[in-house]
Amino acid sequence: MGNVQGRHGNTTEAVRFWKKGLELNPKRADVYSGMGWLAMRKGECEEAILHWRKVLEIAPRMPGVHNGIARALTVLGRKEEAIEELEKDIQISPQSSLSYFLLGQEYLQQKKYEKAKRNYEMAISLQPDLPNAYYGLFTVCSRLKQRAKAREYMAIFKKLDAEDVTKEKKLLEGRSEASDDLVSMRENVAETYMYAERIYRALGQAQRTEELLKRAATLAPKNTECLMKLASFYRINERLPEALQMYKELTEIEPENGVHYRNIGILCTRLKRFADAEEAFGRVIALTPESSSGYRSLAQLYLDMDRELPKARELAERAVVLEASAANYFVLGWACDENGDRDSAISAVKRALELDPGNPKYRQVYEHIQKSN
Amino acid sequence: MSIFRKAIEVVVPAGDRYPGIDSRRRIAVAWGLLCFFSCARANEHIVLSDVTEETGITFRHTDGSSGRLYILETVSAGLALFDFDRDGDIDIYFLNGAPLRGAKSKVAPTNALYRNEGDWRFTDVTEEAGVGDTRYGLGVTVGDYDNDGHPDIYLNNYGPNVLYRNNGDGTFADVTEKTGVGNGFQVGAGACFLDMDKDGDLDLYVSNYLEFSYEKHVSSATGGYSVYASPILYPAAPDTLYRNDGDGTFTDVSKTSGVAEHVGRGMGIVSVDYDNDGDVDVFTANDVGMNFLFENDGTGRFEEVGLFTGVAYDLHGDAQGSMGVDCGDYDNDGLLDFYVTSYQGQLATLYRNLGDGVFEDATLTTGARGGTLPSVTWGTSFVDVDNDGDRDIFIACGHLLDNVELYDDTTTYRQRNILLMNTGDGKFVDVSEKSGDGMKVKLSSRGAGLDDLDNDGDIDAVILNSRSEPTILRNDTPSKGHWLQVRLRGVKTNRNGIGAHVKVIAGDLTLLDEVHSGRGYQGHYGMRLHFGLGGRDRVDRIEVRWLGGGTDIFDDVAADQLITLTEGGSRTGRR
Repeated sequence: MGNVQGRHGNTTEAVRFWKKGLELNPKRADVYSGMGWLAMRKGECEEAILHWRKVLEIAPRMPGVHNGIARALTVLGRKEEAIEELEKDIQISPQSSLSYFLLGQEYLQQKKYEKAKRNYEMAISLQPDLPNAYYGLFTVCSRLKQRAKAREYMAIFKKLDAEDVTKEKKLLEGRSEASDDLVSMRENVAETYMYAERIYRALGQAQRTEELLKRAATLAPKNTECLMKLASFYRINERLPEALQMYKELTEIEPENGVHYRNIGILCTRLKRFADAEEAFGRVIALTPESSSGYRSLAQLYLDMDRELPKARELAERAVVLEASAANYFVLGWACDENGDRDSAISAVKRALELDPGNPKYRQVYEHIQKSN
Repeated sequence: MSIFRKAIEVVVPAGDRYPGIDSRRRIAVAWGLLCFFSCARANEHIVLSDVTEETGITFRHTDGSSGRLYILETVSAGLALFDFDRDGDIDIYFLNGAPLRGAKSKVAPTNALYRNEGDWRFTDVTEEAGVGDTRYGLGVTVGDYDNDGHPDIYLNNYGPNVLYRNNGDGTFADVTEKTGVGNGFQVGAGACFLDMDKDGDLDLYVSNYLEFSYEKHVSSATGGYSVYASPILYPAAPDTLYRNDGDGTFTDVSKTSGVAEHVGRGMGIVSVDYDNDGDVDVFTANDVGMNFLFENDGTGRFEEVGLFTGVAYDLHGDAQGSMGVDCGDYDNDGLLDFYVTSYQGQLATLYRNLGDGVFEDATLTTGARGGTLPSVTWGTSFVDVDNDGDRDIFIACGHLLDNVELYDDTTTYRQRNILLMNTGDGKFVDVSEKSGDGMKVKLSSRGAGLDDLDNDGDIDAVILNSRSEPTILRNDTPSKGHWLQVRLRGVKTNRNGIGAHVKVIAGDLTLLDEVHSGRGYQGHYGMRLHFGLGGRDRVDRIEVRWLGGGTDIFDDVAADQLITLTEGGSRTGRR
């Protein structure tokens, strides 16, 4: 409820709900984190820091929290402490271009230009299109009288800044055209339905859960999280054709996402639509050729269908090369067995069992093929 | 969109910062004794009392709105404080909006001129003075363009602008057509008189906000609520520069001066010799885009150097929704600094002048951010409210979205104004909460003017509030320091001394100021320079560097008086 209130700008009410939630579960670091960001927005930096310190008591390595504290400390003019926090943030999130940039800002204000420069450069190495870091470098080089370098950085900054302005303008123009912010408003309402759905799902009220998810999907037809939830709901309830339809819609929104095709393949297999399953697993391999799951799934399909057995073995062998997992070795064992290579089959299933010794299925199969050898 | 700005946005309602919401979405001067003095005074309270009701001022601002949410409604308007009748006290000129398409009005709203009668009584003399313009008022400035000794008024409107020539008998004449400064039909903003070519007469810089017409109106919404569209959705416009030809007419030199090469969404402006090279430059605060700093080559040809000097963007390289701007030497290092107000979620910014043509954003290191983050900030002034020898900062606040509370309860349409007290060591402390009932008024402020309305040696304030009555604040600070007010009278140079640098030296204290026409948020005030002197009861020396003229030195001047310094060296004082 706190999140719903917050989403609609009722932050006072949101805080009331969050505090109530904390009474029930004082270990919700994410709730304290949200309250920190809200306080920050109101310019209440000290309060924000208090909330974030609470987060660190609960979850000392939660990403972004030290960064938040550093930003509050910066606004309060507590520079040295801010630097310490940013360094801690970088230890937790070494890829945080924002923390490197902010460290650069701290050193710039302290007139430690070389240190500032190093941090801006680091930020750029992590995020080459970060205009602010180029502005920082431009400022440092100007102060160091390195005019040619300053001009160079200024040119990049101006280019990136202009691109950002164009993007922002387009975004706003889109909003004003589409009956103002109707689209974004619908998305917000859809999010609210999805919060409500969690409550009904937890209460075991399937019908209400489905109804809320369908409403959310109608309001925000491109909300992939919602469609995935619906697909999952249908799968759990054995409504496979409806689940399949959801994954098909997901592939239209995210045509490069192999996971959706894999789910389609799995569902088609269960629905005995083998040609469709074969096509779907083929798409998984095409989209994610360095991932083993497509190869394994297609091999398994062929084995299920009892056809293309040599190809199934090739696919399973490729899967094992890409990822030496228990599941892959198991399918390889199966493929070897189906191709009459019992020794290789025993060896592969044995490896699967070594990798996942508690798996009763692997043990059962291993014992069976050893016996029948 | 830059990363600092994105981060600030993510902080709030859209997002992933809320618990459980998926991340998918989302200066110090070695002052010796003065430091001791200032620091000691820092604990004393400034008192600004709300005396609006007792002034007899009945003006009420209208933005001409009809619910159609035309963007110019949000930016009206500035005000001017000046002594129009030269009777020795400061009068008030309020700008007003006008009914926009769809709005009805039985009586056309007009601008209003209030004559200061003394003792905090003001009389509406609009009609008899002939300055009741009924066009849509946005910006105003004052200057004696014809050097006749009487201050004239320039109005920067939505629609044709107006130049009122002061007839010297309490009346004004509309000389727009004759002088040629109507500026077509644009959306006006700030304006200033300046002697760009140092020829002794005042030229005119006119800022233009953006291109708007009813046909170009953009509708927008947030959270399902209709809101004013972002200015970024309207084309930016170049500013206009008029050269005074010295014969009662002006020539548009926007193109030849280099000013028109740059388009922005200009708002508040101030002309200032930022680089101390003896000519006036122009700072234009731009909404949703980089600020401009036009550097004068001394002949009236300008080069835009905002980015190189470090005032185009804030510390992080983010363009702000800049609104108003003032300049002043806050750290008494002999260099004029800038303070620029901005939109909600952005800190109003203090640009410290480093002296080599470069500024640094000192907002965070000095505490000049105050409580500006959740506010939309407009009128502003570097002014020594407590006469302790350093300049404090006044900031007028108020949101432009009149329904903002419906979808964002972290802010409000009506907001308290902000007062940042200079502690004397290059730092500021937000004293708004404990500076009298006048700082508790919650309205949606726009323009603000600060001057000594009752001639008692301290600075009072007048604030124009959108869709509301103005606020008049009397400075009742109990223990004031000594002070000196300086009025200039140019002889060879322009009559008001606009652009002249005045240095006041009193013992260990050296103060610098410059005479401006047009400052803050699209307004004008403070042509009579005010210097707080703290415990010093005498001034050792005053140096006046006249723009386009020589330097006059005035030694051994008593404190606590208004002194008129005339170019060439004579002086007259009044206590």
